[in-house]
Amino acid sequence: MEDREPGNPLGPFEFKECISLVKSTGKKARTLRELRELIALVGDESIYYHTYQYYLRRQILEYNNDFAHWAGENLEERALSEYFSNVDPFLFKDVADLRKALLKVIDDYLERFPEPREVTPGNEFYFNEAIILVFPAGLRAFNLAEFFIAIKYIDAPSVYYHFYEGKMRLRKGIDDFSKWIEDGLGRKDLAARIRSIDPLMHTLEGIREHINEMVEEEVKKDMEVMPK
Amino acid sequence: MIDEYSGIVPKGDLILLQKLGEKMKNRSFLHINSTRGGGGVAEILQRMIPILVELGIDAKWEVIKGDAKFFDITKKIHNALQGNPETITEEMWEYHFEVNRKNAEVYQLDADAVLIHDPQPSPLIEFRKGGQWIWRCHIDASNPVKDVWNYLIRYCEKYDAAIFSVEKFAQAMMIDQFIIPPSVDPISEKNRELREDEIDETVIKFQIPTNRPILLQVSRFDRFKDPVGVIRAYQIVKKYNDCILILAGSPASDDPEGELVLRETQEAAGNDPDIYILLLPPFSDKDINALQRIATVILQKSSKEGFGLTVSEAMWKEKPVIGGAAGGIPLQIAHGITGFLVHSFEGAAFRVRQLLNNPDLAKRIGENAKAYVRANFLITRQIRDYLSLWYSMENEGKNILEL
Repeated sequence: MEDREPGNPLGPFEFKECISLVKSTGKKARTLRELRELIALVGDESIYYHTYQYYLRRQILEYNNDFAHWAGENLEERALSEYFSNVDPFLFKDVADLRKALLKVIDDYLERFPEPREVTPGNEFYFNEAIILVFPAGLRAFNLAEFFIAIKYIDAPSVYYHFYEGKMRLRKGIDDFSKWIEDGLGRKDLAARIRSIDPLMHTLEGIREHINEMVEEEVKKDMEVMPK
Repeated sequence: MIDEYSGIVPKGDLILLQKLGEKMKNRSFLHINSTRGGGGVAEILQRMIPILVELGIDAKWEVIKGDAKFFDITKKIHNALQGNPETITEEMWEYHFEVNRKNAEVYQLDADAVLIHDPQPSPLIEFRKGGQWIWRCHIDASNPVKDVWNYLIRYCEKYDAAIFSVEKFAQAMMIDQFIIPPSVDPISEKNRELREDEIDETVIKFQIPTNRPILLQVSRFDRFKDPVGVIRAYQIVKKYNDCILILAGSPASDDPEGELVLRETQEAAGNDPDIYILLLPPFSDKDINALQRIATVILQKSSKEGFGLTVSEAMWKEKPVIGGAAGGIPLQIAHGITGFLVHSFEGAAFRVRQLLNNPDLAKRIGENAKAYVRANFLITRQIRDYLSLWYSMENEGKNILEL
């Protein structure tokens, strides 16, 4: 393989992407209490699907997971939706802790507010899980300039795979992009800036845009020369 | 044929199709449904089978053969699954099974994967000779007639997996259930890009003025599509914004209810020269395409709906769509982002006015709508999902599969 960036211990960045095949658990909640019972009961895969994997499907920035989305759009309990949205899945060491936090949101809400109504048929919360298929995105970057071009052209699910799934795989808030930029290219500052992008506050396109701007600035700096 | 999709659909879908094609090379994939022409299932299969073959998969499509009595029974089963009161007698179930048994003698049911579409051929599972068997339910079976569902499920639960279009259409079953939405074909006659002269041809044919904003609903004259509600919405809008309304649908010659709804619609329209009620013959795909492309705002004000793919068809043309919050429409329209969801004709009127008065908003929503359909509701995504499901069934127990 051609090495256009000698000295990079990680080799080129191989862009991957993923799709999710949605599997129904057959479980659904009509009320907040039923939602609580089922959050306590369903498998980790289902909690994962409705929280971390929400970012692959998210269109409305107001919500940060399917529970917040359901509370806002179907149950029409705005405050509950805000509490759910405030749960940052990346702060928990595992799904078990995240599940506890979600249950606490409901318990606190039921203590402080009147019991919400039952939703109309068709508006229930449906518990799903997903099978993820990971595959090469057909792009490879040897250096930052190539990375800068590639990040513009990859599909949005590739941003999800490397930025969100990466944080879950690598833990400690580290995504695939910043890891390669730091460990492969030795650019600590740029890596730190990418890691500072708040994953909860952007759509996939927003994340792409931010990374793109940061990398562009860095590439521009590399190219700048003082005229003699 | 796959090349035709290049540059139109997400590149990732095409890469994954190639990858899955390599994995399933020369393996057999049999689809069985109940008709070769007419309806969304046949439309998708017509395009999908050649693509699967091009990927190197030995894909075949068979159609179950039966007489009028059989299809009368299966129509009743279909209606019962959608919640209409129907009684299926023991004799009718036996006939349903018997026709399937005869069909089973003809087909090679030893494919590596068999995908059975809808209830008509579902008893074929009794004649399986190996492979992975999947039952694909295209119907909204969320509220079926219990007796009918309880009988049918005897067959369905013998499959290895079931597929529903929307999670809320599914039923509790003992087998794995997957959610795979239907899709639109971006290069079909109904959705392909049209040249100016092709659009003009339709405009001239129906004598539609294009100097004012156009509101459009394409649907059968069916009460659940609420064409009268669309006229009421238009009449409110008309007080504020000059515009025309087009209601385009097929004539309902075999449907007395449809005739009645059409009459009610014509009465509601009165003698307003700016309301165009177009009765389009079958195979009017190009005209529908052109009407959608000249429209300013497209409505699908359904009060009850299956998936409602006409919404995605309109969104694909970068149009802001106002849809009733029913069936699969909320899955396609994120309120305020890729369109608007409404619950009344007053709501529809309000959103039309908002869009007519804010062309930038209409443009932004239209762009979001097209991007959303591109990512989620194109045919390549549906084929990719079928192959992914087959592949995942052969790798049971794994939640992450790397190709």
